Amino acid sequence: MNPLAPRSTARRTPLVLAVLTLIAILAFAAVSRLVTRLKANEKQIGWHAYEAGLIQAQAGHLENALDDFRAALTYDRDNPKYQLSLARALRDTGRFNEAEAYLLHLWDAAPQDSTINLALARLAARRQSVEDALRYYHNAIYGAWSSDPENNRRNTRFELIEFLLKQNARPLAQAELMALVQVLPPDPAAHLMVADLLRQTQDYESALAEYKMVLKLDHGNAAALTGGGDSAFHLGRYRTAEKYLQQAVALQPENTQARAQLQTATLVLQSDPFLHRVSDAERNRRITADFLHAGERLKSCAQSQEIDLPAKPVAGTVPPGPSANGLTSLWARWQAARPELRRLSSPTNADLPDALMDLVQDIEQQTAQQCGEPTGLDLALLLGARDREIADQ
Amino acid sequence: MSASPITAPSVSARGGFANALASRFARLTLGTDFEEERFFLILSIFIGVFSGLAVVCFRVAIDWSRIALLGPLPHPSALRIIGAPTAVGLLVAILVVHFFPAVRGSGVNQTKAALYIFNGYIPFKNAVGKFICSALAIGSGQSLGPEDPSLQIGASLASALGRRLEFSREKLRLLAPVGAAAGLAAAFNAPISAVLFVIEEVIGRWSAGILGSVVLSAISSVVVMRWFLGADAIFRIPVTTFVHPGELIAYAGLGVAGAFAAAIFSRSIGFFRPRLRALPRWTQYFQPAAAGLLIGLIGWIGFPQVMGAGYEFMDQAMHDQFTWRMLAALAGLKILATTLSFVSGTPGGMFAPTLFIGAMLGGAVGGIERHFFPLLTVSTGTYALVGMGVLFAAFLRAPMTSVFMVLEVSGNYSIIVPVIVANTVAYVISRSLQPIPIFDTLTRQDGLVLPSLEEQRDEHILHVEDAMQPVPTTILDGNSPVEMAELRARDLPDKVFLVRMAPSGWSCLTRNLLERLIKEGKGALTLASVLPTKRLPYLYPDLPLDSALRHVSEAELIPVVNRADLRMLEGVVTRNDVLTRYQADAVAD
Repeated sequence: MNPLAPRSTARRTPLVLAVLTLIAILAFAAVSRLVTRLKANEKQIGWHAYEAGLIQAQAGHLENALDDFRAALTYDRDNPKYQLSLARALRDTGRFNEAEAYLLHLWDAAPQDSTINLALARLAARRQSVEDALRYYHNAIYGAWSSDPENNRRNTRFELIEFLLKQNARPLAQAELMALVQVLPPDPAAHLMVADLLRQTQDYESALAEYKMVLKLDHGNAAALTGGGDSAFHLGRYRTAEKYLQQAVALQPENTQARAQLQTATLVLQSDPFLHRVSDAERNRRITADFLHAGERLKSCAQSQEIDLPAKPVAGTVPPGPSANGLTSLWARWQAARPELRRLSSPTNADLPDALMDLVQDIEQQTAQQCGEPTGLDLALLLGARDREIADQ
Repeated sequence: MSASPITAPSVSARGGFANALASRFARLTLGTDFEEERFFLILSIFIGVFSGLAVVCFRVAIDWSRIALLGPLPHPSALRIIGAPTAVGLLVAILVVHFFPAVRGSGVNQTKAALYIFNGYIPFKNAVGKFICSALAIGSGQSLGPEDPSLQIGASLASALGRRLEFSREKLRLLAPVGAAAGLAAAFNAPISAVLFVIEEVIGRWSAGILGSVVLSAISSVVVMRWFLGADAIFRIPVTTFVHPGELIAYAGLGVAGAFAAAIFSRSIGFFRPRLRALPRWTQYFQPAAAGLLIGLIGWIGFPQVMGAGYEFMDQAMHDQFTWRMLAALAGLKILATTLSFVSGTPGGMFAPTLFIGAMLGGAVGGIERHFFPLLTVSTGTYALVGMGVLFAAFLRAPMTSVFMVLEVSGNYSIIVPVIVANTVAYVISRSLQPIPIFDTLTRQDGLVLPSLEEQRDEHILHVEDAMQPVPTTILDGNSPVEMAELRARDLPDKVFLVRMAPSGWSCLTRNLLERLIKEGKGALTLASVLPTKRLPYLYPDLPLDSALRHVSEAELIPVVNRADLRMLEGVVTRNDVLTRYQADAVAD
């Protein structure tokens, strides 16, 4: 062993360390310059590949776009724009796992970035994962947008609502719509969209309010009139429905659905004996007409079912009660009640109008079940009956 | 152990100003008595920094050569894909044959040989040659990786620095693994795995003395690498899941498949390498070119993924980008391509190809499982990740590194059970299929015999308890008079007696000494007063028998005591017992 060697090293240690530090600093600077040059060169190559990828993606050649985006990332590995584009292309080509890996990587770096959250939300939506989609959509809505945040937030929420409706998650969609309504600008198009979505969630009350808002901002908006008419129709407000639908049909005569709905609404209003401001004579006339029409509907339904209905009531038989639901029993009840029509104007029979219209309701409901959806006056009678039942409840 | 410096250029060559500056600096900061050990630790950090910088440059050089040779586009033209590896193969062969003959192959064995045979000496020229040749070869598409060359470059730098600083031979030997760990850590961005790999494969034995330096250099090199190239892991690890405990059977199956693949890979290299090296010298100019041509053809027929290190394709395999058939084909073709590149003498590493083969094989096994048992597994990504560790354990025979490498790369400890199961199965089976690990095969082919951890695992280590004799029937008390002791010993056949001293410790005396003391009239004296004050050394039963050798010449009898109570005797051992035990062991072997 040579004892001199360690001591000589030890003696000049500070100088050695100083020299090594100096060399390290110089080497650092040199390598830094080298790496900067390489990175600049690679970034340029990456940018060209990225642009090529965007062109391919726009042309619908997603597989080629994937190759280009991958190449771009090879040269500029940390570029979030490239990663996002690659993730979107991967998602659109059904490679969900890899797309998710890229997006989660981006998300780790910027969890508040709305664009990344939106991409993740769309991925979750493609996977039908309501919980994840809701989380990422919310992150996107409340996150940071690089431009036009209000508009982007609104559009993202619209997208979320559409997704929720597709998933039959109506309560969640309604909650989102309620949140959206609070921040809507006075823009008829936006209100119309919200109203349509509310109508899809069957929240007709809120939808009608939104259609009214649209009409306040844009008086002759045919879509709002149609939607408002439909909402009012579903709410049983046939007079309002008639008013909106008349205007809608006037503006769009080719709108057959609105026309049919208008016709039904008018029939309901014309056939309902219990409407306000209907005189006793008119009420009795409507009850008689409705009763006779229900009898005709019963006969034709029985005929189509090849059921023979007796021409006269069977002597000695007690008419079945309201619980009986067969066509034959309904016919028996109808035949038994028919003579009562003469006593409608008598003040001692206060319950008779209700009893007769209850029978009409039973007949329409039963025939609707056995002989298919009613149309025309039958539909009007059925709707009127349902509304009365709801009102009674 | 001799510890003289290898070279001793005159230190006095430095000017007086520098000396004055140095001593002034020393007085101001650290003082002149700076311990060599502490200096060695600080130097480890510098080695890490320089190795990290070198590896960054190496990575840059590979990227540059790849862009220049294969072009920047994702799908190179046929001319480039076939022409580049062929032409570069020719150039690399000329460089290797004429200028850098020591840079063939991976570099792990050369570093190990430097440590055990050349006293830590690795010419700096090797680092330069390895850098240039490997960068060209990998960049042109030869199926090799940058990790093992990085390891050798780091070791070369460390060795050159140690020589420059006139370190003792002992320290110089230690510097090579310190640099190797730094190079590997920077190349793979995984410091723990690098440290373990260097211990398992380069040092070949667990050594606590060097561990601190190795860790420091590995960490500092990784810091430098991340400074320049970013902290991101090489792979984007997918959401790894362990769906059902039944999957462990599939992972065990992956271990079996990995062991067979590793055996094929290992045997192919072991078979072809010596045969190609035995060919006439002029063929060495064309071997890398021929390998390059064949690899280029593999790329041209539709499998360009096997060219180069292939990290991006491992990443894609982890994200279900290939069908299981494609993954299986890629695993097979990568074995072929890497064998061609490696046996042709092209400089480059086997680390990345091993991971590639493992990832593809793992993905294929995962794909097959999903095909037949769709409910059992969600993604094949986890299998690809585990597969990398499997091949590492089976082919490179570094089981500890293989487990930590997967955990370090994935950052996910939830897959530790599948990793351990698969790696253990692969390791155990591969040991029976291919008893000699690949690095040992290569060193033996080169005419060298180097120690390895694998050898240590097989080694039967004898302990003190294996040679120990039972506790003697008579133990003399140090406080009793000599005449009393002589009386007790008179009827006993023993020639040496153990004496229990107060308050602790042991001594021994021979029958001759006892009789002499009586004759000299010292019978009334206590044994403690006539025996030497120095106590006997003692041993524990679990100590290696080698440690007994150091003491058996000091005394006729060495007590073996209990670790919990040093006064409690477990037995005794003599020189004769130790030698007899060693002889018996040698006969049994």
